[in-house]
Amino acid sequence: MSTGSRSLPGRGTVSRRGLLRVGGGVVAATALPSLLTACGGGGSGGKVRIVGVADEQKPITQLLAAYRKSHPDFKASTSFAPTDDVQTVVRTQLAGGNAPDIHVLYPGSGSAMSMVELAKAGLLADLSDMAWTKTIPKSFDAAYRRDGKTYLYSAGSSIIGAIYNKKVFADAGVKPPTTWSELLDVCATLKAKGIIPIALGAQTPWVTQLITYALVPNAVYAKDPTFDDEMAAGRATFADSGWADAMGKYLDLQKRGFFNDHPDGTTYEQQTSMVATGKAAMAVQVSSVLSVFRAAAKNPDDLSMFPFPGGDDPAQLWIPAGIVVGLGVSARAKNATKARQFIEFLGTQENLNAWTTAVSAIPLQRDSTTKLDPALSEFLPIIDADRAVPFMDQRWPNAEVQPAHFAAVQDLLAGKTDVKGALTQMDKAYGKKS
Amino acid sequence: MSTVTAGGVSTGAERPAATRSRPRPGYGRFVLELVMIAAAVVFLFPVYALVTLSLKSPSQIADSPLKPPTSPTFHNFGNAWSSASLGSALLNSAVITALSLVLLVVIGSTGAYYLARCVRGLGYSLYVLFLLGIILPFQLGMIPLYKLVDDLGWLGTYQGMILFYTGIQMPFTVFLYTGFIRALPSDYAQAALIDGCNHRQAFTRIVFPLLRPITGTVIILNAVFIWNDFFTPLLYLGGSGKETVPVAVFSFVGQYVSDYGLVFAGLVLAALPILVVFLLLQRYVIKGFAGGLKG
Amino acid sequence: MKAPRIAGTRLGRRDPTVPPWLFVVPALVVYAFVVLYPSIAGVVYAFTDWSGIGSFSFVGLDNFHTLLHDDRALASVGNTLLLTVAIVVVQNAIGLLLALGVNTNIRSKALLRVVFFAPAVVSPVMVAFLWKYVYNPENGAGLNGILGAVGLGGLRQDWLGNPSLTLWSVAGMVVWQYAGYSMVIFLAGLQGVPAELHEAARIDGAGAWQRFRYVTWPLLAPALTINLMLSTIGGLKLFDQVYAATDGGPGTSSETLSTVLYKEAFVYGKFGYSTAVALVLALFVAAVSLIQLRYLRAREVTA
Repeated sequence: MSTGSRSLPGRGTVSRRGLLRVGGGVVAATALPSLLTACGGGGSGGKVRIVGVADEQKPITQLLAAYRKSHPDFKASTSFAPTDDVQTVVRTQLAGGNAPDIHVLYPGSGSAMSMVELAKAGLLADLSDMAWTKTIPKSFDAAYRRDGKTYLYSAGSSIIGAIYNKKVFADAGVKPPTTWSELLDVCATLKAKGIIPIALGAQTPWVTQLITYALVPNAVYAKDPTFDDEMAAGRATFADSGWADAMGKYLDLQKRGFFNDHPDGTTYEQQTSMVATGKAAMAVQVSSVLSVFRAAAKNPDDLSMFPFPGGDDPAQLWIPAGIVVGLGVSARAKNATKARQFIEFLGTQENLNAWTTAVSAIPLQRDSTTKLDPALSEFLPIIDADRAVPFMDQRWPNAEVQPAHFAAVQDLLAGKTDVKGALTQMDKAYGKKS
Repeated sequence: MSTVTAGGVSTGAERPAATRSRPRPGYGRFVLELVMIAAAVVFLFPVYALVTLSLKSPSQIADSPLKPPTSPTFHNFGNAWSSASLGSALLNSAVITALSLVLLVVIGSTGAYYLARCVRGLGYSLYVLFLLGIILPFQLGMIPLYKLVDDLGWLGTYQGMILFYTGIQMPFTVFLYTGFIRALPSDYAQAALIDGCNHRQAFTRIVFPLLRPITGTVIILNAVFIWNDFFTPLLYLGGSGKETVPVAVFSFVGQYVSDYGLVFAGLVLAALPILVVFLLLQRYVIKGFAGGLKG
Repeated sequence: MKAPRIAGTRLGRRDPTVPPWLFVVPALVVYAFVVLYPSIAGVVYAFTDWSGIGSFSFVGLDNFHTLLHDDRALASVGNTLLLTVAIVVVQNAIGLLLALGVNTNIRSKALLRVVFFAPAVVSPVMVAFLWKYVYNPENGAGLNGILGAVGLGGLRQDWLGNPSLTLWSVAGMVVWQYAGYSMVIFLAGLQGVPAELHEAARIDGAGAWQRFRYVTWPLLAPALTINLMLSTIGGLKLFDQVYAATDGGPGTSSETLSTVLYKEAFVYGKFGYSTAVALVLALFVAAVSLIQLRYLRAREVTA
């Protein structure tokens, strides 16, 4: 059917010429701008390229402005985006051989953009010669260091505890509990008064893990501080450890009706508004979200935090404290010197303070200039007594355990599995090679 | 629209001029109109949600997210405009979208014209090859393409994005055009060829004007994709100062802390230009049709 | 009458109007550069153990063997198919009805077209985010609140939290967003139906249904082909909405092939394996699409 026109030579040539004219126009249109950039191409040279997650935008923007005051010739381009997208972008850029100078980096192991994962691939610059790295406590080694070298910059740690509505507590005549049995009593009192004791937004995956994380330090690490090493050596499992107690307590809270209805269908945003508006009394959360809960409340001062009591001895309470998401310098940074100088600047006490204040965290080092959010004050003695445990995933060997944990908790809350089944799923994920 | 009240019945009956081609005006049309407006309300609900949320402060959202705002705040819009540099982002989006659309329409329609008229052998093979482009997961070529654009030195440039969109949306564009050109009578072009036009003239003067309805569709559907695309501009343009609207707006969506008021306001502002373009286009499309097939 | 002449053309009468193949070259060049070449280059990773960063080694067909025993990926195939069927049927049915509705001479048609299309203009990730407010499980909020208000309180659901309902909630959201999209394509088809044909059929005494069945419907064939193919491929590849709305949860109850693919590549750091999954997905979609295309094209000719 198509051969008819080709047998007419004249017609063919005319339209080819015509087409080339059209085609040439197109080529010119696309080629012209490229010539223009070729001329101005040097413009981006010397600019330090920083790619971070949206949660880091506030401190980085603020500290960049401060740095420019003392270094007026320092030029940087920044790019921030939601966590998942940034991970994908940075991994693609690393794979494509076009690494940013400074990029987001998660502490320890256990995620696709974690320090261990990237250091293993030789993609991170060693920061060990910087002054601030000397002050990293030994207990944080696994988060910041691999084989004795420091690769991560992080300003400090955020803690998991109960964010609670003081007004609701006062109206119900209850005080923040200090033991597990007190917690159950408080919840029962609140429930009897028609208030949701604990808001849970388990529709949002990362929220599912917080109650487990709040309970595991007491159930596991208080008894066996070397549990992570036992796991790594294959001598322990989730299913046959204190994890089962922790998960059991989690489920018990649901069975007693202390959560809102349908936690699996409730989002983090809905959880936030329940506590902020006083519909619910508390939520187990990361200190980093305090500002969000406060912004959602009519009176921001109504919201504070207390350590979520996982055990029955208030003097021996253990809590989770995870190193906050930070930054790494690429091993192939085009502006390595400038990038390192900026990180060095971020490591001063003043700037550790500034960064952690912006994200409601506790700085790596504290001194007299450190002004902490009063809501965090109850946690400090516990941290100083070395009873704080890093978020569990920061020591997990691959990036599949954490999502397996999310799914296990959702299944547990939906009644689709039991504690044993949930932990077996996690053990299976733990056993996969990274 | 405004007459759809109790009085609307009589209004419908009073306008016989508009329905002169119909033997039974009025009642049936009125019922249809009511049904369609009811459907529109359902469709508008989440749009209403978006606008409502954009007019509230975080504490108002927490209190009652979807109730009509009692004391609307335009703070979010001002904030979106300044914090997210929405002005320059809108300009970047407009440049990238418009130039990509021009290339897609010109290159896509000419390519499809061949594929629609040559439905066997080479033509069919090429058609299937283009179709493959809609099927292939984007992720498959993501890293090699990134390297390619980097090698060209086109990361962080308009032309890198325009090239990307022209290529990535070409299969879709060709697919839409081919389907409709095949349904178009070839007599017009044939007559033009007999009258001494060459193929290019026959296409630009006769065929392309007949394609107005589908060109309108191609423009609007591609525009929506390009305008909203988030990941590739983030990957190619992040930090360059040429970020598009979604990149600018989504930089405020964190895991823990998000400035949703700003995000919603930004998205409302971002959606408006596209809706206006659609409104204008469909007038043009309808007119184009009325004038097009009379010939 | 015009109809026979149009049909005659489509039946492939010897046609001297076929333009030279150079017409297709620019499109082909851009497409090959941006899609074909990179995709072919990317296929290599399917045969490696690459994490996505750093070095890798070739592992032959190992990834494909792994896929055969990957419960998570296999379970997601069922979800993907269910979601696709629901979207294809409902989205196109609603899209067609909307298109027919606004292609009449009702007075609000111009505005209604914009309203129906409006959801497609909002970015899919944000649509998912908004729908989480709509799908709030509380009795007094969102959709449940509306159901309660109109006396349908018994239909209230835990939309995103009930594992056996989540997938359908996501489908509902996608249909809402893209019904207007289908409508636009159907409209372009309807506008190609000459008014004279309707007039002639009316004069012959055809009722509304008969005019639709024997005049409009056959001439809508190209639009229908395009819509069915696009929604099928779109459904099979659906990612943004699922990922943003449920992330595959609760548990793994709404996991689709695309979310598995994404997680393997960028969350678990198994780029090589995910490329193998992507290839299988592509072959699967290609097979479905080609069968569909053959059937629909044959139907266009005989309609």
